Amino acid sequence: MSVLDNLGINPGLMLIWLIAFIVLYVLLTRFIYDPLTNVLNERRNRIAKGLEDAAAAARARENAEAEADKILAQARSEAQKVIDEARGRGEEVASSIEQDARQEAAKIQYDAQNEAVAIRNQELGNLREQVLNISVAVASRILDESISKTKQKTLVNSFIADLPEGAKGLSGSVEVVSAMPLTEAEQKKVKAEIGADEADFTVDPSILGGLIVRWSGGMLMAASARS
Amino acid sequence: MDPQSTILLGKAIGAGLAMIGAAGGGIGIGLSVGGAVMAMGRNPDHTPTIQTNMILGVAFAEAVAIYALVVSLIILFVLS
Amino acid sequence: MNSFWNGKRRFVALLMFLAGVFVALRVPPVIPFIQLPGEKFPEGFNIPFTDIRMTNTFVAAVIVWLLLLLFVVYIARRRPSDGNEVPPGGFYNMFEALFEGLMGFVGGIAGGRHFRLIFNMFMTIFLIVLIANWMELLPGVDTIGFIHPHVKEKFDADSGEYKVITTDGFEIYQGFLGISYVNGQCDWISPADEAAADEVALAQAEVAATAAQQAQIEDAAYVRYQAKHGDHGDEGANDGHGDDDHAEDQGDTDAVAAARQDALDARTAEKEARRDRGCYTGVATSSWEDGYVESDETDKKKLIPLHPDPRSEDAKLVPWVVLPFVRVASTDLNMTLTLGLISFVMIQYIGFKALGIGYLTKFFNFGTLFKSPLGGIDVAVGLLELIGDFAKILSFSFRLLGNIFAGSIVLFVMSFLVPILPWPFFILEFFVGVIQALVFALLTAIFMNLATVSHHHDDDHDHAEAH
Repeated sequence: MSVLDNLGINPGLMLIWLIAFIVLYVLLTRFIYDPLTNVLNERRNRIAKGLEDAAAAARARENAEAEADKILAQARSEAQKVIDEARGRGEEVASSIEQDARQEAAKIQYDAQNEAVAIRNQELGNLREQVLNISVAVASRILDESISKTKQKTLVNSFIADLPEGAKGLSGSVEVVSAMPLTEAEQKKVKAEIGADEADFTVDPSILGGLIVRWSGGMLMAASARS
Repeated sequence: MDPQSTILLGKAIGAGLAMIGAAGGGIGIGLSVGGAVMAMGRNPDHTPTIQTNMILGVAFAEAVAIYALVVSLIILFVLS
Repeated sequence: MNSFWNGKRRFVALLMFLAGVFVALRVPPVIPFIQLPGEKFPEGFNIPFTDIRMTNTFVAAVIVWLLLLLFVVYIARRRPSDGNEVPPGGFYNMFEALFEGLMGFVGGIAGGRHFRLIFNMFMTIFLIVLIANWMELLPGVDTIGFIHPHVKEKFDADSGEYKVITTDGFEIYQGFLGISYVNGQCDWISPADEAAADEVALAQAEVAATAAQQAQIEDAAYVRYQAKHGDHGDEGANDGHGDDDHAEDQGDTDAVAAARQDALDARTAEKEARRDRGCYTGVATSSWEDGYVESDETDKKKLIPLHPDPRSEDAKLVPWVVLPFVRVASTDLNMTLTLGLISFVMIQYIGFKALGIGYLTKFFNFGTLFKSPLGGIDVAVGLLELIGDFAKILSFSFRLLGNIFAGSIVLFVMSFLVPILPWPFFILEFFVGVIQALVFALLTAIFMNLATVSHHHDDDHDHAEAH
């Protein structure tokens, strides 16, 4: 008794403690542990279920994505087909157009050729006439008097000698037409005689001989053998 | 020295000597916790098991120190 | 409200710190008298419906129970009803997180068929012990209390009477607002010692007086000698000498009295200096009218005349100690021993529940006594287990008691030595409180789980070896 008392142990107090403990145990179990455990279990289940749902949703989404991919691929291939088809048709059209164009071009070419031939024939006809004239002239020249270099020379010399007063001291540009091309010396001589600054020497076989001087004031035909 | 002081002196010396026994408990706890921590470091997967056994061992080791404490308390407060 | 306090709390803390410094300097801190049993309240403070005297540890216990009841009500009200999944937040949420964590923790240790029972025990013990332990951190616990005459009554076998024995204590000190404190700076001096000191002072005064008288007589003799040999022819001088002699006698008695008075004054000054240090400087009002001497037998209670004025000689008869209103419940063996016993009983109960009567073979293992050459060892081991199981009560209760008792002693001794800054020890005790609560509860859970595990597989193993 004395030992217990010295340590402060009192059976009555211990009994009170025991009762208090039991009461607290019951209260805590009834009002905290059990309901809280239920709440926590329920929440755990709900979370597990939520996770499962999320997993299922993820799976569904994966499926949907796969399907979408498939559809997309299909659509893409179809589009490709359409494009290919269109391209083929286009090429066909293009080739046909090209063919038509080519045909047309060929036709145009053919027509043009025909026309050209016709024109050439016509030209040739005209030309033939001219050639005929020329040949006639040439022949007549050859027949009439043979024009030689010396003749030409004398012609020119006579032209210069007989140069009319009006044809001297000309200024401006002068056209000198001769039947045969004049030599350089002759050109210089003519030029000096005329007194023109510039002289245009042309050849016209149709005049047959002599010279024709044309200037702005008038025309002088000298020693011309023109028919 | 009067008798009461002598008794007090004896009590104090006795209680102090009794508490030397707590050193054993301290050494034991230190060893067991050290071993457990090393084991947990090497084998982290078994931490719960090691921890449980460690706490048990610590409790048993501490019991010795507690006996010393009880003896000391009895000397101080119960003997008169 | 919250925004108002933002940034201002530190000043409040500083203010409280300064107030603490001021109080520590103004009021000398005092070490409460250390004793293991809970201090009993004065006469008349009984626990209701019983004749057990109230103790301050029991007050703490009641506070713990009330807090737990409040806790139950709070949690039950805040708990979300089934299906409503939004946690209400705050303290409830914290507790729920703690609860879930501990549930997982205990589930890892004892997650078997008896998990619910083990966990409920674990949690109940944990909460009770935790709240009880943390009460030592509150201000006022272990420090504010009755000022109590500290005497012991001892039965004297020779005379057959109870004698009052004065024990260690302190003198009373007047503090703020007419409140009295026990002053740790004044050692209590027993009336006998005081009287002895007075007698010594008186004797010293007598000695001084005698010496003064002696000196006076010698002086007179010397004067007379001088007079005889110096001018003995002068008659008138002789007459005058006769008058002088008479006057000298008068002066002699005055000088002796002065010497005696000086010696006594020194003693009085010593006493007054002691009083000026704060000892016996005010009027103490004791919390009850009459002091008493504690005794088991109430009829043999002996009243000590306690005068309201501690300066009176009657009040000096006893030393004084502080009797705290509240002392941590865990420092009382009644609580720890009860919890230890509950733990022990539950361990045995769950053992029988799980294993039936076969649980007893753990302790009384006679099965292999005659079958195996080492059967005797099994018996001894079983008996050791039995002793060990009873030792668990002791180790459970004294582990908690020792840790918390030592902790609270450390706290108030540190508050006494370093009155301003005992905070590190408060932090330490905070953790000690948690750890001890956890250890108590966890060991209960572990032992309960161990009790449910059959030990028969060892026997089977032995049988297999024998065959």
